[in-house]
Amino acid sequence: MTCLETLRRIVDRVLAVRESIPLVLLIASSLGFYLVSPAFLSPMNLSNMFAFIPELGIIALGMTMLLTAGVFDLSVGAVFAFAPLLTYTIVNQVGIPLELAMLVGFAAAMLIGLINGLLVTKVGISSFLVTLGMMLVVRGLGLYMSAGYPQKTLGGDPIIQTLLVGTVTIGPVTIYAGLLWFIGLAVFLHFLLRRARFGNWVLATGGNGKSARARGINTDAVTIRLFVFMSFLASFAGLISATRVGSAYPIAGDGYELETIAMAVVGGTSLFGGRGTIIGTVIGVILIRSIRNGIILIGVPGLAYNMFVGIIILVAMSVQALLERRNAS
Amino acid sequence: MSESTAPLVEMLGIVREYGKVQALGGVDLAVQPGEIVTLLGDNGAGKSTLIKILSGADRPTSGEIRIRGNAMRFRSTRDAIALGIETIYQDSALVEQLSIGRNLFLGREPSKSRGPVHWMDRTQMDQVTEELLKRVGISKKLSAHTPITALSGGERQAIAIARAMYFEADLIVLDEPTNNLGVEETHGVLRFIREAREAGRSCVFITHNMHHAFQVADRAVVLRLGKKVADIPRSEMTVERIERIIMGLEDGEAVASVG
Ligand SMILES: Nc1ncnc2c1ncn2[C@@H]1O[C@H](COP(=O)(O)OP(=O)(O)OP(=O)(O)O)[C@@H](O)[C@H]1O
Ligand SMILES: [Mg+2]
Repeated sequence: MTCLETLRRIVDRVLAVRESIPLVLLIASSLGFYLVSPAFLSPMNLSNMFAFIPELGIIALGMTMLLTAGVFDLSVGAVFAFAPLLTYTIVNQVGIPLELAMLVGFAAAMLIGLINGLLVTKVGISSFLVTLGMMLVVRGLGLYMSAGYPQKTLGGDPIIQTLLVGTVTIGPVTIYAGLLWFIGLAVFLHFLLRRARFGNWVLATGGNGKSARARGINTDAVTIRLFVFMSFLASFAGLISATRVGSAYPIAGDGYELETIAMAVVGGTSLFGGRGTIIGTVIGVILIRSIRNGIILIGVPGLAYNMFVGIIILVAMSVQALLERRNAS
Repeated sequence: MSESTAPLVEMLGIVREYGKVQALGGVDLAVQPGEIVTLLGDNGAGKSTLIKILSGADRPTSGEIRIRGNAMRFRSTRDAIALGIETIYQDSALVEQLSIGRNLFLGREPSKSRGPVHWMDRTQMDQVTEELLKRVGISKKLSAHTPITALSGGERQAIAIARAMYFEADLIVLDEPTNNLGVEETHGVLRFIREAREAGRSCVFITHNMHHAFQVADRAVVLRLGKKVADIPRSEMTVERIERIIMGLEDGEAVASVG
Protein backbone atom coordinates (compact mmCIF):
# COMPACT_ATOMS: atom_id res chain seq x y z
CA MET A 1 0.00 0.00 0.00
CA THR A 2 2.72 2.48 0.94
CA CYS A 3 4.66 1.36 -2.09
CA LEU A 4 1.76 2.44 -4.30
CA GLU A 5 1.44 5.72 -2.44
CA THR A 6 5.12 6.49 -2.84
CA LEU A 7 4.84 5.74 -6.52
CA ARG A 8 1.87 8.08 -6.78
CA ARG A 9 3.73 10.83 -5.02
CA ILE A 10 6.72 10.44 -7.32
CA VAL A 11 4.45 10.55 -10.38
CA ASP A 12 2.74 13.68 -9.04
CA ARG A 13 6.08 15.34 -8.40
CA VAL A 14 7.27 14.55 -11.92
CA LEU A 15 4.02 15.73 -13.53
CA ALA A 16 4.28 19.05 -11.70
CA VAL A 17 7.28 19.90 -13.86
CA ARG A 18 5.83 20.99 -17.18
CA GLU A 19 8.71 19.72 -19.25
CA SER A 20 8.48 16.17 -17.96
CA ILE A 21 5.63 15.03 -20.20
CA PRO A 22 7.29 15.86 -23.51
CA LEU A 23 10.51 14.38 -22.15
CA VAL A 24 8.77 11.12 -21.27
CA LEU A 25 7.07 11.11 -24.68
CA LEU A 26 10.43 11.71 -26.37
CA ILE A 27 12.13 8.86 -24.53
CA ALA A 28 9.20 6.50 -25.13
CA SER A 29 8.86 7.26 -28.83
CA SER A 30 12.62 7.06 -29.40
CA LEU A 31 12.71 3.71 -27.67
CA GLY A 32 9.81 2.49 -29.80
CA PHE A 33 11.43 3.60 -33.05
CA TYR A 34 14.73 2.08 -31.97
CA LEU A 35 13.13 -1.29 -31.24
CA VAL A 36 11.45 -1.41 -34.63
CA SER A 37 14.38 0.04 -36.51
CA PRO A 38 17.77 0.21 -34.73
CA ALA A 39 19.01 2.55 -37.46
CA PHE A 40 16.97 5.27 -35.72
CA LEU A 41 19.73 5.89 -33.19
CA SER A 42 22.61 5.50 -35.64
CA PRO A 43 24.99 8.49 -35.75
CA MET A 44 24.12 9.10 -39.38
CA ASN A 45 20.40 9.25 -38.76
CA LEU A 46 20.85 11.41 -35.68
CA SER A 47 23.01 13.97 -37.45
CA ASN A 48 20.56 13.92 -40.34
CA MET A 49 17.71 14.55 -37.91
CA PHE A 50 19.54 17.36 -36.15
CA ALA A 51 20.32 19.03 -39.48
CA PHE A 52 16.59 19.69 -39.89
CA ILE A 53 15.98 20.84 -36.33
CA PRO A 54 17.27 24.43 -36.30
CA GLU A 55 15.14 25.87 -39.06
CA LEU A 56 11.81 25.01 -37.46
CA GLY A 57 13.37 25.18 -34.02
CA ILE A 58 14.41 28.82 -34.29
CA ILE A 59 10.84 29.74 -35.26
CA ALA A 60 9.45 27.62 -32.42
CA LEU A 61 11.60 29.56 -29.92
CA GLY A 62 10.10 32.85 -31.09
CA MET A 63 6.63 31.32 -31.08
CA THR A 64 7.14 30.30 -27.44
CA MET A 65 7.79 33.92 -26.49
CA LEU A 66 4.69 35.08 -28.39
CA LEU A 67 2.46 32.37 -26.91
CA THR A 68 3.71 33.26 -23.44
CA ALA A 69 2.64 36.85 -24.08
CA GLY A 70 -0.81 35.55 -25.12
CA VAL A 71 -0.58 35.89 -28.93
CA PHE A 72 0.74 33.86 -31.86
CA ASP A 73 1.91 34.39 -35.42
CA LEU A 74 0.58 32.47 -38.43
CA SER A 75 2.66 34.48 -40.91
CA VAL A 76 6.01 32.92 -39.92
CA GLY A 77 5.98 30.34 -42.73
CA ALA A 78 5.32 33.03 -45.33
CA VAL A 79 8.06 35.28 -43.90
CA PHE A 80 10.39 32.26 -43.82
CA ALA A 81 9.98 32.06 -47.62
CA PHE A 82 9.63 35.74 -48.46
CA ALA A 83 12.69 37.24 -46.74
CA PRO A 84 15.35 35.02 -48.38
CA LEU A 85 13.48 35.24 -51.68
CA LEU A 86 13.68 39.04 -51.50
CA THR A 87 17.34 38.93 -50.44
CA TYR A 88 18.49 36.65 -53.24
CA THR A 89 16.29 38.34 -55.85
CA ILE A 90 18.12 41.58 -55.11
CA VAL A 91 21.49 39.83 -55.20
CA ASN A 92 20.79 37.99 -58.47
CA GLN A 93 18.92 40.67 -60.37
CA VAL A 94 20.20 44.00 -59.03
CA GLY A 95 23.71 42.85 -58.22
CA ILE A 96 23.79 44.24 -54.67
CA PRO A 97 26.25 42.45 -52.34
CA LEU A 98 24.72 39.72 -50.18
CA GLU A 99 25.46 41.49 -46.87
CA LEU A 100 23.38 44.48 -47.89
CA ALA A 101 20.64 42.36 -49.42
CA MET A 102 20.44 40.38 -46.17
CA LEU A 103 19.85 43.59 -44.27
CA VAL A 104 17.05 44.46 -46.71
CA GLY A 105 15.51 41.02 -46.18
CA PHE A 106 15.67 41.34 -42.37
CA ALA A 107 14.30 44.88 -42.48
CA ALA A 108 11.37 43.79 -44.65
CA ALA A 109 10.64 40.93 -42.25
CA MET A 110 10.80 43.18 -39.22
CA LEU A 111 8.47 45.65 -40.90
CA ILE A 112 5.99 42.81 -41.36
CA GLY A 113 6.36 42.00 -37.65
CA LEU A 114 5.87 45.64 -36.75
CA ILE A 115 2.65 45.82 -38.76
CA ASN A 116 1.43 42.59 -37.12
CA GLY A 117 2.21 44.04 -33.69
CA LEU A 118 0.57 47.39 -34.37
CA LEU A 119 -2.60 45.82 -35.75
CA VAL A 120 -2.89 43.48 -32.76
CA THR A 121 -2.22 46.08 -30.05
CA LYS A 122 -3.31 49.44 -31.42
CA VAL A 123 -6.19 48.41 -33.67
CA GLY A 124 -7.16 45.57 -31.35
CA ILE A 125 -7.70 42.72 -33.80
CA SER A 126 -6.96 39.20 -32.55
CA SER A 127 -3.53 37.89 -33.48
CA PHE A 128 -5.19 34.93 -35.20
CA LEU A 129 -6.94 37.15 -37.75
CA VAL A 130 -4.11 39.66 -38.19
CA THR A 131 -1.43 37.08 -38.86
CA LEU A 132 -3.73 34.88 -40.96
CA GLY A 133 -4.28 37.89 -43.22
CA MET A 134 -0.58 38.72 -43.15
CA MET A 135 0.27 35.14 -44.11
CA LEU A 136 -1.84 35.48 -47.29
CA VAL A 137 -0.42 38.91 -48.11
CA VAL A 138 3.22 37.91 -47.67
CA ARG A 139 2.85 34.53 -49.36
CA GLY A 140 1.05 36.20 -52.27
CA LEU A 141 3.68 38.91 -52.51
CA GLY A 142 6.47 36.32 -52.71
CA LEU A 143 4.69 34.34 -55.42
CA TYR A 144 3.90 37.48 -57.42
CA MET A 145 7.43 38.86 -57.09
CA SER A 146 9.02 35.59 -58.20
CA ALA A 147 6.33 34.50 -60.65
CA GLY A 148 6.58 31.22 -58.77
CA TYR A 149 10.23 30.58 -59.69
CA PRO A 150 12.95 29.97 -57.10
CA GLN A 151 16.09 32.09 -56.80
CA LYS A 152 19.48 30.37 -56.66
CA THR A 153 21.37 31.05 -53.46
CA LEU A 154 24.78 29.56 -54.23
CA GLY A 155 28.10 31.31 -54.66
CA GLY A 156 27.64 33.96 -51.98
CA ASP A 157 30.30 35.35 -49.67
CA PRO A 158 32.14 32.35 -48.13
CA ILE A 159 32.14 33.88 -44.64
CA ILE A 160 28.38 34.30 -44.68
CA GLN A 161 27.98 30.83 -46.14
CA THR A 162 30.01 29.43 -43.25
CA LEU A 163 28.07 31.40 -40.65
CA LEU A 164 24.74 30.21 -42.02
CA VAL A 165 25.34 26.66 -43.23
CA GLY A 166 28.91 25.72 -42.28
CA THR A 167 29.52 22.31 -40.73
CA VAL A 168 31.82 20.81 -38.13
CA THR A 169 32.48 17.09 -38.30
CA ILE A 170 33.40 15.25 -35.13
CA GLY A 171 33.91 11.57 -35.86
CA PRO A 172 30.72 10.26 -37.45
CA VAL A 173 28.65 13.27 -36.34
CA THR A 174 28.25 16.40 -38.46
CA ILE A 175 27.12 19.56 -36.71
CA TYR A 176 25.59 22.37 -38.73
CA ALA A 177 26.00 26.07 -38.00
CA GLY A 178 22.21 26.36 -37.77
CA LEU A 179 22.22 24.02 -34.78
CA LEU A 180 24.68 26.26 -32.96
CA TRP A 181 22.48 29.31 -33.65
CA PHE A 182 19.50 27.35 -32.33
CA ILE A 183 21.32 26.32 -29.15
CA GLY A 184 22.66 29.84 -28.57
CA LEU A 185 19.23 31.38 -29.05
CA ALA A 186 17.57 28.79 -26.83
CA VAL A 187 19.99 29.47 -23.98
CA PHE A 188 19.59 33.24 -24.32
CA LEU A 189 15.79 33.14 -24.50
CA HIS A 190 15.55 30.69 -21.62
CA PHE A 191 17.39 33.12 -19.34
CA LEU A 192 15.59 36.12 -20.80
CA LEU A 193 12.23 34.57 -19.93
CA ARG A 194 13.22 33.33 -16.47
CA ARG A 195 15.70 35.86 -15.19
CA ALA A 196 15.27 39.19 -16.96
CA ARG A 197 12.85 42.03 -16.27
CA PHE A 198 11.59 41.78 -19.84
CA GLY A 199 10.81 38.08 -19.32
CA ASN A 200 8.72 38.92 -16.27
CA TRP A 201 6.80 41.46 -18.37
CA VAL A 202 6.21 38.90 -21.13
CA LEU A 203 4.75 36.45 -18.60
CA ALA A 204 2.61 39.17 -17.03
CA THR A 205 1.39 40.44 -20.40
CA GLY A 206 0.13 36.97 -21.30
CA GLY A 207 -1.02 36.06 -17.80
CA ASN A 208 -3.05 39.15 -16.97
CA GLY A 209 -2.52 42.08 -19.30
CA LYS A 210 -4.82 44.33 -17.29
CA SER A 211 -2.82 43.88 -14.09
CA ALA A 212 0.44 44.29 -15.97
CA ARG A 213 -0.75 47.63 -17.34
CA ALA A 214 -1.90 48.68 -13.88
CA ARG A 215 1.68 48.06 -12.70
CA GLY A 216 2.89 50.49 -15.35
CA ILE A 217 4.09 47.89 -17.86
CA ASN A 218 3.67 48.94 -21.47
CA THR A 219 2.17 45.65 -22.64
CA ASP A 220 1.66 46.97 -26.18
CA ALA A 221 5.39 47.64 -26.48
CA VAL A 222 6.15 44.15 -25.15
CA THR A 223 3.84 42.55 -27.71
CA ILE A 224 5.08 44.66 -30.63
CA ARG A 225 8.71 43.91 -29.81
CA LEU A 226 7.98 40.19 -29.73
CA PHE A 227 6.23 40.29 -33.13
CA VAL A 228 9.20 42.12 -34.67
CA PHE A 229 11.60 39.63 -33.09
CA MET A 230 9.44 36.72 -34.29
CA SER A 231 9.52 37.92 -37.91
CA PHE A 232 13.26 38.47 -37.68
CA LEU A 233 13.76 34.91 -36.44
CA ALA A 234 11.53 33.52 -39.22
CA SER A 235 13.53 35.42 -41.86
CA PHE A 236 16.82 34.26 -40.32
CA ALA A 237 15.67 30.63 -40.30
CA GLY A 238 14.47 31.06 -43.89
CA LEU A 239 17.83 32.44 -44.93
CA ILE A 240 19.64 29.47 -43.38
CA SER A 241 17.26 27.07 -45.11
CA ALA A 242 17.43 28.72 -48.54
CA THR A 243 21.23 28.91 -48.39
CA ARG A 244 21.48 25.28 -47.33
CA VAL A 245 19.30 23.86 -50.12
CA GLY A 246 20.75 26.17 -52.78
CA SER A 247 17.48 27.88 -53.74
CA ALA A 248 14.99 30.27 -52.19
CA TYR A 249 11.56 28.81 -52.96
CA PRO A 250 8.47 31.04 -52.82
CA ILE A 251 6.48 28.17 -51.29
CA ALA A 252 9.06 27.25 -48.62
CA GLY A 253 7.91 27.00 -45.01
CA ASP A 254 4.35 26.02 -45.86
CA GLY A 255 2.63 24.76 -42.70
CA TYR A 256 5.49 25.80 -40.43
CA GLU A 257 3.20 28.09 -38.43
CA LEU A 258 1.12 25.22 -37.09
CA GLU A 259 4.03 22.87 -36.65
CA THR A 260 5.99 25.39 -34.57
CA ILE A 261 2.94 26.22 -32.45
CA ALA A 262 2.53 22.49 -31.88
CA MET A 263 6.20 22.17 -30.88
CA ALA A 264 5.82 24.90 -28.27
CA VAL A 265 2.51 23.63 -26.90
CA VAL A 266 3.60 20.00 -26.78
CA GLY A 267 6.61 21.24 -24.80
CA GLY A 268 4.37 22.73 -22.12
CA THR A 269 3.79 26.33 -23.21
CA SER A 270 0.18 27.40 -22.71
CA LEU A 271 -1.96 28.31 -25.71
CA PHE A 272 -3.67 30.88 -23.49
CA GLY A 273 -0.67 32.93 -22.37
CA GLY A 274 1.16 33.44 -19.09
CA ARG A 275 3.06 30.16 -19.09
CA GLY A 276 5.98 29.38 -21.33
CA THR A 277 9.04 27.20 -21.25
CA ILE A 278 11.97 27.34 -23.64
CA ILE A 279 13.36 24.04 -22.35
CA GLY A 280 9.99 22.44 -23.10
CA THR A 281 10.02 23.87 -26.60
CA VAL A 282 13.49 22.48 -27.27
CA ILE A 283 12.19 19.07 -26.21
CA GLY A 284 9.03 19.59 -28.28
CA VAL A 285 11.09 20.47 -31.35
CA ILE A 286 13.21 17.34 -31.01
CA LEU A 287 10.12 15.23 -30.26
CA ILE A 288 8.15 16.27 -33.34
CA ARG A 289 11.18 16.15 -35.60
CA SER A 290 12.13 12.69 -34.35
CA ILE A 291 8.60 11.44 -34.86
CA ARG A 292 8.65 12.72 -38.45
CA ASN A 293 11.98 11.03 -38.96
CA GLY A 294 11.02 7.83 -37.13
CA ILE A 295 7.77 7.10 -38.90
CA ILE A 296 9.47 7.29 -42.27
CA LEU A 297 12.18 5.00 -40.96
CA ILE A 298 9.77 2.35 -39.69
CA GLY A 299 8.05 2.42 -43.06
CA VAL A 300 4.77 4.24 -42.59
CA PRO A 301 3.46 4.77 -46.14
CA GLY A 302 4.23 8.24 -47.47
CA LEU A 303 0.61 9.18 -48.08
CA ALA A 304 -0.47 8.37 -44.51
CA TYR A 305 2.48 10.20 -43.05
CA ASN A 306 0.95 13.60 -42.27
CA MET A 307 -2.03 11.87 -40.74
CA PHE A 308 0.24 10.20 -38.19
CA VAL A 309 2.06 13.39 -37.35
CA GLY A 310 -1.28 15.14 -36.88
CA ILE A 311 -2.61 12.43 -34.57
CA ILE A 312 0.52 12.49 -32.44
CA ILE A 313 0.40 16.28 -32.12
CA LEU A 314 -3.28 16.16 -31.11
CA VAL A 315 -2.62 13.48 -28.49
CA ALA A 316 0.33 15.32 -27.00
CA MET A 317 -1.56 18.62 -26.88
CA SER A 318 -4.59 16.96 -25.27
CA VAL A 319 -2.43 15.43 -22.55
CA GLN A 320 -0.91 18.85 -21.90
CA ALA A 321 -4.32 20.59 -21.79
CA LEU A 322 -5.80 17.95 -19.45
CA LEU A 323 -2.88 18.34 -17.08
CA GLU A 324 -3.25 22.11 -17.12
CA ARG A 325 -6.86 21.72 -16.04
CA ARG A 326 -5.88 19.22 -13.35
CA ASN A 327 -3.21 21.56 -11.96
CA ALA A 328 -5.61 24.51 -12.00
CA SER A 329 -8.12 22.76 -9.72
CA MET B 1 -0.09 78.57 -4.18
CA SER B 2 3.15 77.50 -2.53
CA GLU B 3 4.31 73.87 -2.47
CA SER B 4 4.08 73.46 1.31
CA THR B 5 0.41 74.38 1.70
CA ALA B 6 -0.89 72.73 -1.49
CA PRO B 7 -2.85 69.53 -1.02
CA LEU B 8 -1.02 66.36 -2.00
CA VAL B 9 -3.64 65.69 -4.65
CA GLU B 10 -6.31 67.93 -6.05
CA MET B 11 -8.87 66.79 -8.61
CA LEU B 12 -10.89 69.62 -10.14
CA GLY B 13 -14.11 69.38 -12.15
CA ILE B 14 -13.51 65.81 -13.23
CA VAL B 15 -15.98 64.70 -15.92
CA ARG B 16 -15.99 61.22 -17.40
CA GLU B 17 -18.44 60.25 -20.10
CA TYR B 18 -18.85 56.83 -21.68
CA GLY B 19 -20.73 57.74 -24.84
CA LYS B 20 -24.00 59.13 -23.53
CA VAL B 21 -23.50 57.79 -20.01
CA GLN B 22 -22.02 60.33 -17.66
CA ALA B 23 -20.14 58.41 -14.96
CA LEU B 24 -18.74 61.57 -13.37
CA GLY B 25 -20.28 65.00 -13.69
CA GLY B 26 -17.64 67.44 -12.47
CA VAL B 27 -16.21 66.08 -9.23
CA ASP B 28 -13.69 67.88 -6.98
CA LEU B 29 -11.57 65.91 -4.54
CA ALA B 30 -8.59 67.04 -2.48
CA VAL B 31 -6.38 64.95 -0.23
CA GLN B 32 -3.96 66.47 2.26
CA PRO B 33 -0.65 64.87 3.25
CA GLY B 34 -1.23 62.32 6.01
CA GLU B 35 -4.98 62.31 5.54
CA ILE B 36 -7.30 59.35 5.09
CA VAL B 37 -10.32 60.04 2.94
CA THR B 38 -13.06 57.48 2.57
CA LEU B 39 -14.99 57.57 -0.66
CA LEU B 40 -18.56 56.40 -0.22
CA GLY B 41 -21.57 55.95 -2.46
CA ASP B 42 -24.01 53.44 -3.87
CA ASN B 43 -23.23 50.96 -6.61
CA GLY B 44 -22.49 52.81 -9.83
CA ALA B 45 -22.01 56.16 -8.09
CA GLY B 46 -18.68 56.65 -9.88
CA LYS B 47 -16.18 55.79 -7.12
CA SER B 48 -14.10 53.34 -9.11
CA THR B 49 -14.17 55.62 -12.14
CA LEU B 50 -12.83 58.50 -10.07
CA ILE B 51 -9.93 56.56 -8.61
CA LYS B 52 -9.06 54.99 -11.97
CA ILE B 53 -8.55 58.51 -13.23
CA LEU B 54 -6.47 59.32 -10.15
CA SER B 55 -4.27 56.28 -10.73
CA GLY B 56 -3.74 56.94 -14.42
CA ALA B 57 -5.66 53.86 -15.54
CA ASP B 58 -8.36 55.98 -17.17
CA ARG B 59 -8.45 59.51 -18.57
CA PRO B 60 -11.13 62.12 -17.78
CA THR B 61 -13.27 63.65 -20.53
CA SER B 62 -12.43 66.99 -18.91
CA GLY B 63 -11.07 68.30 -15.63
CA GLU B 64 -7.70 68.78 -14.02
CA ILE B 65 -5.44 66.88 -11.64
CA ARG B 66 -2.85 68.68 -9.54
CA ILE B 67 -0.14 66.90 -7.59
CA ARG B 68 1.48 69.06 -4.90
CA GLY B 69 0.07 72.10 -6.68
CA ASN B 70 1.31 71.22 -10.16
CA ALA B 71 -1.12 70.39 -12.96
CA MET B 72 -0.43 66.89 -14.29
CA ARG B 73 -1.70 64.85 -17.19
CA PHE B 74 -1.41 61.09 -16.65
CA ARG B 75 -0.96 59.11 -19.82
CA SER B 76 -0.73 55.78 -17.99
CA THR B 77 -0.48 54.22 -14.57
CA ARG B 78 3.27 54.55 -14.93
CA ASP B 79 3.00 58.33 -14.68
CA ALA B 80 0.91 58.10 -11.52
CA ILE B 81 3.21 55.50 -9.95
CA ALA B 82 6.22 57.71 -10.70
CA LEU B 83 4.48 60.52 -8.77
CA GLY B 84 3.94 58.30 -5.74
CA ILE B 85 0.36 57.12 -6.27
CA GLU B 86 -0.07 53.37 -5.65
CA THR B 87 -3.41 51.76 -6.34
CA ILE B 88 -4.88 48.53 -5.03
CA TYR B 89 -7.81 47.67 -7.27
CA GLN B 90 -11.21 46.22 -6.51
CA ASP B 91 -10.41 43.08 -8.52
CA SER B 92 -7.05 42.33 -6.94
CA ALA B 93 -4.47 43.11 -9.60
CA LEU B 94 -2.10 40.17 -9.36
CA VAL B 95 -0.90 37.93 -12.17
CA GLU B 96 -1.96 34.44 -11.13
CA GLN B 97 0.70 32.65 -13.14
CA LEU B 98 3.56 34.49 -11.44
CA SER B 99 5.06 33.82 -8.02
CA ILE B 100 4.54 36.15 -5.07
CA GLY B 101 7.99 37.66 -5.50
CA ARG B 102 7.56 38.29 -9.22
CA ASN B 103 4.20 39.93 -8.56
CA LEU B 104 5.50 42.16 -5.80
CA PHE B 105 8.16 43.62 -8.05
CA LEU B 106 6.23 43.50 -11.32
CA GLY B 107 7.18 46.53 -13.39
CA ARG B 108 9.93 47.56 -10.97
CA GLU B 109 12.11 44.48 -10.75
CA PRO B 110 15.45 45.33 -9.13
CA SER B 111 18.37 44.94 -11.50
CA LYS B 112 22.07 45.53 -11.17
CA SER B 113 23.05 44.97 -14.78
CA ARG B 114 23.71 47.91 -17.04
CA GLY B 115 23.83 46.07 -20.39
CA PRO B 116 20.98 45.86 -22.90
CA VAL B 117 19.33 43.08 -20.90
CA HIS B 118 18.26 43.93 -17.36
CA TRP B 119 18.72 40.73 -15.40
CA MET B 120 16.65 40.65 -12.22
CA ASP B 121 18.39 40.75 -8.87
CA ARG B 122 16.67 37.65 -7.56
CA THR B 123 18.48 37.51 -4.25
CA GLN B 124 17.14 40.92 -3.34
CA MET B 125 13.66 40.05 -4.64
CA ASP B 126 13.50 36.91 -2.49
CA GLN B 127 14.86 38.65 0.60
CA VAL B 128 12.50 41.62 0.45
CA THR B 129 9.55 39.35 -0.33
CA GLU B 130 10.17 37.14 2.72
CA GLU B 131 10.45 40.24 4.92
CA LEU B 132 7.22 41.72 3.57
CA LEU B 133 5.33 38.45 3.99
CA LYS B 134 6.36 38.53 7.64
CA ARG B 135 5.20 42.14 8.00
CA VAL B 136 1.73 41.47 6.61
CA GLY B 137 1.58 38.33 8.72
CA ILE B 138 1.31 35.58 6.09
CA SER B 139 4.83 34.18 6.11
CA LYS B 140 3.82 30.93 7.82
CA LYS B 141 3.63 28.60 4.89
CA LEU B 142 4.38 30.90 1.99
CA SER B 143 7.67 31.58 0.27
CA ALA B 144 8.61 34.11 -2.40
CA HIS B 145 8.25 31.37 -4.99
CA THR B 146 4.67 30.35 -4.14
CA PRO B 147 2.38 30.91 -7.13
CA ILE B 148 -0.59 33.22 -6.61
CA THR B 149 -3.00 30.41 -7.53
CA ALA B 150 -2.12 28.79 -4.20
CA LEU B 151 -3.30 31.81 -2.16
CA SER B 152 -6.67 32.65 -0.60
CA GLY B 153 -8.46 35.90 -1.42
CA GLY B 154 -7.24 37.52 1.79
CA GLU B 155 -3.69 36.46 1.23
CA ARG B 156 -3.82 37.93 -2.28
CA GLN B 157 -5.12 41.23 -0.91
CA ALA B 158 -2.29 41.19 1.60
CA ILE B 159 0.26 40.78 -1.21
CA ALA B 160 -1.15 43.82 -3.02
CA ILE B 161 -0.93 45.78 0.22
CA ALA B 162 2.61 44.60 0.89
CA ARG B 163 3.54 46.03 -2.48
CA ALA B 164 2.19 49.47 -1.62
CA MET B 165 4.05 49.30 1.71
CA TYR B 166 7.36 48.46 0.13
CA PHE B 167 7.27 51.09 -2.55
CA GLU B 168 6.44 53.77 0.02
CA ALA B 169 3.84 55.61 -2.00
CA ASP B 170 2.74 59.09 -0.88
CA LEU B 171 -0.85 58.29 -1.70
CA ILE B 172 -2.29 54.80 -1.46
CA VAL B 173 -5.59 54.28 -3.21
CA LEU B 174 -7.65 51.27 -2.16
CA ASP B 175 -10.81 50.22 -3.99
CA GLU B 176 -12.87 48.07 -1.61
CA PRO B 177 -9.81 46.41 -0.07
CA THR B 178 -11.82 44.63 2.62
CA ASN B 179 -14.12 42.88 0.15
CA ASN B 180 -14.11 39.10 0.60
CA LEU B 181 -11.77 39.31 3.57
CA GLY B 182 -12.05 37.45 6.84
CA VAL B 183 -12.14 39.25 10.19
CA GLU B 184 -8.43 38.93 10.80
CA GLU B 185 -7.39 40.07 7.33
CA THR B 186 -9.81 43.01 7.49
CA HIS B 187 -8.15 44.16 10.69
CA GLY B 188 -4.81 43.79 8.95
CA VAL B 189 -5.93 46.12 6.17
CA LEU B 190 -7.32 48.72 8.56
CA ARG B 191 -4.17 48.56 10.67
CA PHE B 192 -2.10 49.05 7.54
CA ILE B 193 -4.08 52.17 6.64
CA ARG B 194 -3.53 53.65 10.10
CA GLU B 195 0.18 52.85 9.93
CA ALA B 196 0.38 54.53 6.57
CA ARG B 197 -1.08 57.71 8.09
CA GLU B 198 1.36 57.58 10.99
CA ALA B 199 4.16 57.36 8.44
CA GLY B 200 2.83 60.60 6.90
CA ARG B 201 1.19 59.01 3.87
CA SER B 202 -2.29 59.63 2.55
CA CYS B 203 -5.02 57.18 1.63
CA VAL B 204 -8.15 57.20 -0.44
CA PHE B 205 -10.25 54.29 0.70
CA ILE B 206 -13.42 53.09 -1.04
CA THR B 207 -15.77 50.87 0.92
CA HIS B 208 -19.43 49.92 1.30
CA ASN B 209 -18.86 49.09 4.93
CA MET B 210 -19.66 52.16 7.04
CA HIS B 211 -18.13 50.54 10.09
CA HIS B 212 -14.74 50.19 8.39
CA ALA B 213 -14.91 53.73 7.05
CA PHE B 214 -15.53 55.12 10.52
CA GLN B 215 -12.63 53.21 12.03
CA VAL B 216 -9.98 54.92 9.95
CA ALA B 217 -11.22 57.92 7.98
CA ASP B 218 -10.41 61.57 8.70
CA ARG B 219 -12.98 62.69 6.18
CA ALA B 220 -15.81 61.16 4.17
CA VAL B 221 -16.64 62.10 0.61
CA VAL B 222 -19.94 60.86 -0.78
CA LEU B 223 -20.66 60.44 -4.48
CA ARG B 224 -24.13 60.07 -5.85
CA LEU B 225 -24.92 59.59 -9.55
CA GLY B 226 -21.51 60.93 -10.53
CA LYS B 227 -21.65 64.07 -8.37
CA LYS B 228 -20.06 64.85 -5.03
CA VAL B 229 -22.94 65.36 -2.60
CA ALA B 230 -21.05 65.57 0.69
CA ASP B 231 -17.59 66.20 2.07
CA ILE B 232 -17.71 65.76 5.83
CA PRO B 233 -14.93 65.90 8.43
CA ARG B 234 -14.58 63.17 11.01
CA SER B 235 -16.16 65.25 13.80
CA GLU B 236 -19.43 65.65 11.89
CA MET B 237 -19.71 62.10 10.61
CA THR B 238 -22.56 59.94 11.85
CA VAL B 239 -23.64 56.65 10.32
CA GLU B 240 -27.30 57.71 10.00
CA ARG B 241 -26.49 60.96 8.31
CA ILE B 242 -24.08 59.45 5.79
CA GLU B 243 -26.46 56.63 4.97
CA ARG B 244 -29.23 59.14 4.30
CA ILE B 245 -26.92 61.15 2.04
CA ILE B 246 -25.84 58.05 0.12
CA MET B 247 -29.48 57.16 -0.47
CA GLY B 248 -30.33 60.73 -1.48
CA LEU B 249 -32.70 61.35 1.44
CA GLU B 250 -30.66 64.25 2.76
CA ASP B 251 -28.42 66.89 1.20
CA GLY B 252 -24.84 66.97 2.36
CA GLU B 253 -25.47 70.72 2.73
CA ALA B 254 -22.29 71.44 4.68
CA VAL B 255 -19.76 70.61 2.00
CA ALA B 256 -16.82 71.30 4.24
CA SER B 257 -14.03 73.45 2.93
CA VAL B 258 -10.81 71.59 2.65
CA GLY B 259 -7.64 72.55 4.38
N1 LIG C 1 -16.18 51.18 -19.27
C1 LIG C 1 -17.40 51.68 -19.04
N2 LIG C 1 -18.28 51.85 -20.05
C2 LIG C 1 -19.51 52.36 -19.83
N3 LIG C 1 -19.97 52.71 -18.64
C3 LIG C 1 -19.15 52.57 -17.58
C4 LIG C 1 -17.83 52.04 -17.72
N4 LIG C 1 -17.23 52.03 -16.50
C5 LIG C 1 -18.15 52.50 -15.64
N5 LIG C 1 -19.30 52.82 -16.28
C6 LIG C 1 -20.50 53.40 -15.66
O1 LIG C 1 -20.10 54.46 -14.83
C7 LIG C 1 -20.86 54.45 -13.63
C8 LIG C 1 -19.94 54.48 -12.43
O2 LIG C 1 -19.25 53.24 -12.33
P1 LIG C 1 -18.18 52.92 -11.19
O3 LIG C 1 -17.56 51.63 -11.50
O4 LIG C 1 -17.31 54.10 -11.03
O5 LIG C 1 -19.12 52.79 -9.91
P2 LIG C 1 -18.72 52.49 -8.40
O6 LIG C 1 -19.14 53.68 -7.62
O7 LIG C 1 -17.32 52.06 -8.29
O8 LIG C 1 -19.70 51.29 -8.06
P3 LIG C 1 -19.45 49.96 -7.14
O9 LIG C 1 -19.68 50.37 -5.75
O10 LIG C 1 -20.53 49.05 -7.61
O11 LIG C 1 -18.09 49.45 -7.43
C9 LIG C 1 -21.78 53.25 -13.70
O12 LIG C 1 -23.05 53.68 -14.10
C10 LIG C 1 -21.15 52.38 -14.75
O13 LIG C 1 -22.14 51.64 -15.42
MG1 LIG D 1 -16.33 50.22 -7.82
